[in-house]
Amino acid sequence: MIEYDVIVIGAGVAGFTAGADLAGKGYKVAVVTTGEPTVCLSTGCIDLCAGPSAREGLEALPDEHPLRRLSLADMEAALNGFKKTMDDLALTYTGGLDVNRKVLSALGSFKTTCLVPDTMAASPQTNDEAIHIVTFEGLKDFYPAYILSRFPQASFSVYDAGASTTMGIASRFEQGLFREAFVAWLEGQRIRENKIGIPAVLGLEDTQGVLREIEYHLERPVFEVPTLPPSMPGRRLFNALKAHFRNQGGDIYWSWPVAGVEKTGHLVEAVFTPTDGKPNSLNARAFILASGSFVGGGLTATRETIVENIFHLPVFVPSARAGWFEDNYFSANHAISRAGVLADSSFRPEGAGFENVFVCGGILAHAQILKFGCGNGLSLTTGYAAAKACAEYLS
Amino acid sequence: MIKTDVIIIGGGATGCGIARDLALRGIPHCLIEKGDYAAGATGACHGLLHSGGRYVVSDPVAAKECYDENLILRRIGEKCVERTGGLFVRLPGDSKRYRERFLRSCDDVGIPVEVISASRALDLAPNLNPEIEEAVRVPDCSIDPFRLCMLNMKTSEIKGGLSFIRHRVIEIVKSRGRCIGVKAQSAVTGEIQEISGNILVNATGAWADIVARMAGSEVPMTLSKGSLVITNHRLTDMVINRLRPSSDGDIIVPNEAVCLAGTTSLPVEDPDHIRIEPAEADVIVTEAGKMIPHFNQTRIIRAFSGVRPLLKSQKLDSREITRGFQIIDHGNGLYSIVGGKLTTYRLMAEKMVDTIMEAFNLKRECETAEKPLDGQEELSGYPLSKRLADMNNILCECELVTRADVERVIRQTATRHVGDISHRTRLGMGPCQGGYCTFRALGVMQDQRLLSPEESMQALREFLQRRFRGIRQTLWGDQLRSEQLVEYIYLGILAMEREKPT
Repeated sequence: MIEYDVIVIGAGVAGFTAGADLAGKGYKVAVVTTGEPTVCLSTGCIDLCAGPSAREGLEALPDEHPLRRLSLADMEAALNGFKKTMDDLALTYTGGLDVNRKVLSALGSFKTTCLVPDTMAASPQTNDEAIHIVTFEGLKDFYPAYILSRFPQASFSVYDAGASTTMGIASRFEQGLFREAFVAWLEGQRIRENKIGIPAVLGLEDTQGVLREIEYHLERPVFEVPTLPPSMPGRRLFNALKAHFRNQGGDIYWSWPVAGVEKTGHLVEAVFTPTDGKPNSLNARAFILASGSFVGGGLTATRETIVENIFHLPVFVPSARAGWFEDNYFSANHAISRAGVLADSSFRPEGAGFENVFVCGGILAHAQILKFGCGNGLSLTTGYAAAKACAEYLS
Repeated sequence: MIKTDVIIIGGGATGCGIARDLALRGIPHCLIEKGDYAAGATGACHGLLHSGGRYVVSDPVAAKECYDENLILRRIGEKCVERTGGLFVRLPGDSKRYRERFLRSCDDVGIPVEVISASRALDLAPNLNPEIEEAVRVPDCSIDPFRLCMLNMKTSEIKGGLSFIRHRVIEIVKSRGRCIGVKAQSAVTGEIQEISGNILVNATGAWADIVARMAGSEVPMTLSKGSLVITNHRLTDMVINRLRPSSDGDIIVPNEAVCLAGTTSLPVEDPDHIRIEPAEADVIVTEAGKMIPHFNQTRIIRAFSGVRPLLKSQKLDSREITRGFQIIDHGNGLYSIVGGKLTTYRLMAEKMVDTIMEAFNLKRECETAEKPLDGQEELSGYPLSKRLADMNNILCECELVTRADVERVIRQTATRHVGDISHRTRLGMGPCQGGYCTFRALGVMQDQRLLSPEESMQALREFLQRRFRGIRQTLWGDQLRSEQLVEYIYLGILAMEREKPT
């Protein structure tokens, strides 16, 4: 039987943020996960709240929104802590609460976000910027025409990288010889535009180095354009969060689906897994649920209702199934996006009666991440807040 | 101006069957279809080649026609018919008297059936509900309706017949009270084709009355909506029917990697505006689950509806209305052919063309029952090895459709519709329902300069909205999970505008 102070369920932005904070404070922490989290699918940007600035957007959020449980000071602390950590790991992020940034998408539209990775910092902010798009022969998840249609002053060129997936091309960018050949070709394109956009394939390890190398030779800013998953920027963020958690002394149990819970009164004592060959039971003084929403696997919809899969917490179910979706697909306002676990001000699940369980991230009710544009930022800040509440409880 | 002898309006099984029959009898013709082939009820059904068992008690004449046509189609259309065989299963509580009538009627009509024990039935179809009392084995088959239409049109093409898909008839041209031609407008370019002919055939199914009215005639019909669901797995290798009078959700048909289950039967007014409610999908899943319990756990990838064009009847329950067909001579050069079903499409075409030959005072016997469908040698089934050889260039991971497949269809059809590519390759028909590959297919069309980027954005919006209409009734479990990801990709990662850009 292994004893921990805290078990975190979920290896996404929320889980690793909470886990690393607690481990950094000296607690013995483990993250258990079924596999790779949804952050690997994301653009790697930290969306916190749509609007001209996250600060303004946050003020306009409805009272029931989980981000209303956090003070601005906590939010600021969470974002600054994240930026510092990522900078140390050579995955620099820029931005803050005072102004939202735009990131050009593979459809030529703009995504609004709070913190952007260095590789997207030069993304154009308006459609009249003169940009040159580079794409790769046979790449199936990027078509420059989508972008060209919206940028009157744009042109494109095509490079044959000998691979047709983002992952395949990213691995080529890890090789010095490939980069040299690519840069030499790019120099030969006689690009007139003053910025160069490339689909997000600039390697997985030293991406900032790759970016600087291209910028150095082309003498102008280069930016990555995020596209369909699997996402390289999402995976870089995941790798960095994982590395940081490990650096803080945290343990990770992969392929460890929680199948059962042992509890006494108001306390959860342990979680179980049926996995063979690994400890099948982990004890802890506190538990943080960061298992995500439907995509992450934290919530499951049945034909009749919606359930939380680990602790069987009460779930806010917005309506009967017929009302989960609106007719307009593009409304970003489907009732189902409100489903989740209700949390109180200390990020304990409401109505469950557990003293030592905290909840954070996409599983929180009323998050509506598409409507409010609060994806990874919701996970980051509520992960920070849940860790803080958990630390208070433990001390 | 195009001149021909017969203008066929409608590219469903009936229209395509008429084109083939005319081609084999040497009659020049031109087919006009407002969508793609099989876009109406033909493509929106179970894809069941009836043994006749379903109708044998209520309509023995129709049942006999079904059985005869079943034998013909499995002979002439090997590559679009799968000889699955079928079972009628009797669940506890299902009427024994109906079973007796069923067996007696099959005997009268001449449909070969065999009563088998529950355990024998479970050997044949292991996913069946183990509680069944017994089963009756029938010669049902599954049929690919889209492929069927394409193969019929192949003969027409070989013999010089013309066809225009994505063309809507906007006017029936008349002279001295007679229909002498049509004007058809391309949905893609807006261009108008003027076609003149001596006879017009209205084979537009649920749209028959709308078309007839353009010629000042009418076709009294009752429209009945039938909804179906598609599973992500092939839960049975045999057609499974419920041994009881026709009711909701009592037929399950395997088709390639999936199963189709249905239907419902609800009266509708307008064939262009049909809608499925989540409750309807629930009824089908629940009923199908009584025959194959796994239905209650399996992933349902979409629901869809077809509109049955049934001859007008005073009877209120549309299931009781005859599924037989009728040819209406409007006396002005226009003929309408209505009713019938997919299984009897060839017979309907034969009778229609017999009528046309008589009007032209020509004599040549129908050969459609003897000659195998043309173009079958080109159908390769599902060559997994070939698809995997080009693994790096697969655009649709669910159905293993390669970039080369998509480019070939674009080349052959110059299509601008993702749906046309889906019909011909199965792109977007798997569990993610086009979530990933539509972005790619439209991107390839842009590369081929077939679509402007603005058009492809519009096409993407329309596709996603239409796709959503088909899947929202069955969103729970893994299917909901997968759908949330697709929504996140388009609205989150790709930041598609919520409202149409102005």
